[in-house]
Amino acid sequence: MKKVLMVAVLIFFAAVFPAFALDGNDILKKVDRNLNPETFEMYRKLINIEPDGSRKEFVLYTLKKGADRVVSLFISPASEKGRATLRVGENMWLYIPSVGKPIRITSLQSITGGIFNNSDIMRLDYSAEYNCEKIEERDGQYLLHLKARTRTVAYDRVKMWVHSEELLPAKLECYAASGMLIKTLHFKEIKDFDNGIVRPAVVETDSPLHKGYKSVMIFAGIKRKKLADEVFTINYLSRVGNLR
Amino acid sequence: MTRSPKIGEIVLLVMVLSACTARAGEYDFDIPGIKKRPYEIGGNLETRGILHRLNRHGLLYKTKYYDASESATRGEFHQILELNGRVLVGPLRARIKTHSEYVETYRHHDLDHELYEAYLTYNTSPAFTLQTGKRVFKWGKGYAWNPVGFVNRPKDPEDPERDLEGFTALGADFIRSFGPAGLQSLSFTPLILPVSNHINQELGESGDTLIAAKLYLLLYDTDLDFMVRLGPRRPEMYGIDFSRNLKENLEVHGELAYLRGYEHKALDDGGKLASQTSNAFSFLFGLRYLTASDTTLIFEYYHHGEGYDSGEADRFYSFLDQSCRNYLDTKNQQQIDRAGKVRQAYLRDKNFMKDYLYLKVSQKEPFDILYLTPYITLIANLNDGSFSVSPSATYRPVTNLELTLRTIFPIGGSMTEYGEKQDRCRMELRVKYYF
Repeated sequence: MKKVLMVAVLIFFAAVFPAFALDGNDILKKVDRNLNPETFEMYRKLINIEPDGSRKEFVLYTLKKGADRVVSLFISPASEKGRATLRVGENMWLYIPSVGKPIRITSLQSITGGIFNNSDIMRLDYSAEYNCEKIEERDGQYLLHLKARTRTVAYDRVKMWVHSEELLPAKLECYAASGMLIKTLHFKEIKDFDNGIVRPAVVETDSPLHKGYKSVMIFAGIKRKKLADEVFTINYLSRVGNLR
Repeated sequence: MTRSPKIGEIVLLVMVLSACTARAGEYDFDIPGIKKRPYEIGGNLETRGILHRLNRHGLLYKTKYYDASESATRGEFHQILELNGRVLVGPLRARIKTHSEYVETYRHHDLDHELYEAYLTYNTSPAFTLQTGKRVFKWGKGYAWNPVGFVNRPKDPEDPERDLEGFTALGADFIRSFGPAGLQSLSFTPLILPVSNHINQELGESGDTLIAAKLYLLLYDTDLDFMVRLGPRRPEMYGIDFSRNLKENLEVHGELAYLRGYEHKALDDGGKLASQTSNAFSFLFGLRYLTASDTTLIFEYYHHGEGYDSGEADRFYSFLDQSCRNYLDTKNQQQIDRAGKVRQAYLRDKNFMKDYLYLKVSQKEPFDILYLTPYITLIANLNDGSFSVSPSATYRPVTNLELTLRTIFPIGGSMTEYGEKQDRCRMELRVKYYF
């Protein structure tokens, strides 16, 4: 009888407080792995849309290894071709062919203009950069309240809405340390990229700081790829295109 | 039993299909350029118009335009075509970059073709690359100056991002990557630079061979380089540089170079150009800071050890002044020719004195004007108090088109570096199209 009572109490608490059974950081790790494998290559098209509808497009080839190494190479337009950005943890470098050497840059700078900044384009795993402080569950989605693990992370706080079944992000709100909303990311068009990768193929971004402007990132060709550690060094930045 | 679809169902189907079509058309999922080709070709075409408002009282104007008719302004027109080509065959990669420039000034017009780069690399793994040919090297972390740029062409601090010609070298690149802490990665780049009548003449005399090497470490999130250059008839060069992000919006960098046995040419008390072998330390300290409102500041202090001190600079200006006066009195061409030689010896470096400051403040996309970057640059000579101010802007209104407007105002008294420049001010408009 005692056992039955205990089980009933446990079931009651599990039903009333489901969030108690959830660990936000575990969910965040699963979101990371659902968005992309640990080591992979992919192509992205970035579109900056102005209030009058005019747009500028950029195409990037990106390689990522482990939690904290990522390199991106512009393959179009011609004015940006060959520019490459490397991120190793919080270190970030930009290589511009005409400048001829990698220069250290900060994660807050924008390498394309528009709303995306370097940390959006050179994003590490969310779980590497943020700690989940609080989790809520509503309308089939988890709301994760994330806090930057270090001061060097571009956004101090992030609210992430996650589809509770697929464990894929639906929306992100990025806040400065002052509490000001910097930008909102909307994840759309869930697509099967093969190799078991099913994730949103489009991320739309808008910002109250740039009213009327919108930036869109379209994902393609996400594939697992074996990569040597030496690929993620500044001496290799000018040769990243060799790996395509 | 089958039944015909009702009108309501047909309308619903049409609405769903329309909605689907609209969604599919919202973004084009076809990403151009994914398919890699074994060759690539591209380039840029630039038109540059320059207007000089001349400083007719400046000594550099007087010694250069001593025979010119009086005129307050001069125009200059440049048409530049640069072509890039790349071919990939297995582990071999060939790259070529050409620079063709047509220049028209009030004195002459000229068409010049240069091969900026033409090299071959052999790359079996990311950890090892062999390279040979003409290639641009950019050593050092400084933005406006690079005291450790032992294999770089000299930069113009007023236009530090301008494309430059490379040097011909045989070299290799070894890379090793380690763990996420302590020594994170290491690379070693040795170079052999031969000199002949056709290549690398600036580095020595025909038959000379120079050796240069750079060791790079990423150590505790800090970039560190150690470099050396050795060769006959040129000073031995040893250097170290570093760069590190102190905060998410603050980067610091520095360079230190030691030159052993460089030739210092200066006017002696008798007005003769005398040569002396000396040793010198040069160094640079700089930072790059990004504010919350997207303003970027680049600040650098440069000590130019091989530069001229105030006394030597005074003697230089006095000599130029006296040469101009003598020429006007006697019309003796030798006076001007001698002044030209002295001027060439002193102004070998873009900034020829000892201590300089550089400040560049740029604002990304002010007033929500996308792709516009206005900036202002200040270069100050701390030894004579003269400086130049350059308010400028870059605008990229459409894909592959870049417009740059630059103005430069040198400011300083007589017998100062910027006060004696040949321009009172200069305005440049550049229109560059990439293809």
